[in-house]
Amino acid sequence: MRLDEAEMAALMQAAQDGDAVAYARLLDGIVPLIRQAVACRWTGIEEPDDLVQDVLLSLHQVRRTYDPNRPFVPWLMAIAQHRLADAQRRHARRAKGEVAVEALPETFSDEDAKEPIDRLADAETLSRAMADLPPRQRQAVELLRLKEMSLKEASEASGMSIAALKVSMHRALKSLRAALSK
Amino acid sequence: MRTKDLIAILANDSRSPVHRLPSPSVRLIKWLAVSAPWIALVVAVMHLRPDLGTKLAEPRWLLEQGAALATAVTAGMAALCAGVPGRPRWERWLAAGPVLVWLGTLGLGCVQDWIQSGPVGVSLQPDWECLPGIVLVGLVPGVVMVALLRRLAPLVPVVSVGLGGLSAAALADFALRLFHTQDAGAMVLVWQVGTVALLSAASAAIGRHILCWRHLRAG
Repeated sequence: MRLDEAEMAALMQAAQDGDAVAYARLLDGIVPLIRQAVACRWTGIEEPDDLVQDVLLSLHQVRRTYDPNRPFVPWLMAIAQHRLADAQRRHARRAKGEVAVEALPETFSDEDAKEPIDRLADAETLSRAMADLPPRQRQAVELLRLKEMSLKEASEASGMSIAALKVSMHRALKSLRAALSK
Repeated sequence: MRTKDLIAILANDSRSPVHRLPSPSVRLIKWLAVSAPWIALVVAVMHLRPDLGTKLAEPRWLLEQGAALATAVTAGMAALCAGVPGRPRWERWLAAGPVLVWLGTLGLGCVQDWIQSGPVGVSLQPDWECLPGIVLVGLVPGVVMVALLRRLAPLVPVVSVGLGGLSAAALADFALRLFHTQDAGAMVLVWQVGTVALLSAASAAIGRHILCWRHLRAG
């Protein structure tokens, strides 16, 4: 449905007066216009339809600013261009923090970090090693690693001091590392 | 969400009429109407300067005050226009002329002071009353300006709030000189216009926090 400038202005005026049908017709009619404006300039990876929806939401937020004595299309395009510029800035900011690579590295660059994944993932070995830990060390691992509690929370839950928890955790990790590397 | 569904939601949300925004000039008059009683109150509390009668006969003082007031009015108008989509961009530069005239008259004042009194005429002394004075007088105009700007589209928040800050601070400086007896060109330029510039820059810096699109992005 193609609307001309006068129709759009009349529909917007009716929408400002609370005519929901006119508003829906107007929004339907301007979507191709916004899509065209976005498609011409958008260079990001975001879906252009997300931007079209952004413009519609922005238009809705500031619909009181439309003055029926002024043309509608420049009003609409000013909103669309500013939202597009915002999206471009957002995209540029994100892209700045990303590194494009052709193939993702299979493992870490640090040699020590290249643990064989099948050995680490051996659940049976791990649970045997956990079972062999002294009770206080096992509890420290359960609370701090498996339940992901903070030191303070783990201290409250176990009745152990924070220092004792740290020592138990350190000893437990040492024992587990030794057991898994056998 | 599909665009069609979003349109249905927005249409459903538009069943009650919206209050159309008055023209920028009407909003500017409202801003001045709210700011004027506050300024009058502060000036009355601080007492008019005793030499005001003499000052009103000095073309230089009148020109400086006229330029400050014109800066306040034009910057206010520019701020209120900047948030209306589709308005011409040149309106954002409305205050440029008055600002140049203001700086020019003060600069000329410095030259006159130099000719009359030599280096003493342009020497600078601390005048810490200016900053709190301008902040105090500009408080209400500034708050009212922000309230008016928040009803507009946040198209250029840094520019809008910066211009709003300039208008409130320039209006405050206009009022300050009705009770503060400091007229040396260099002193006014550094302490008063410096404060106005500082407050305008600070306003611009927080522009994005004051004006932003309030809706969530479509999911």
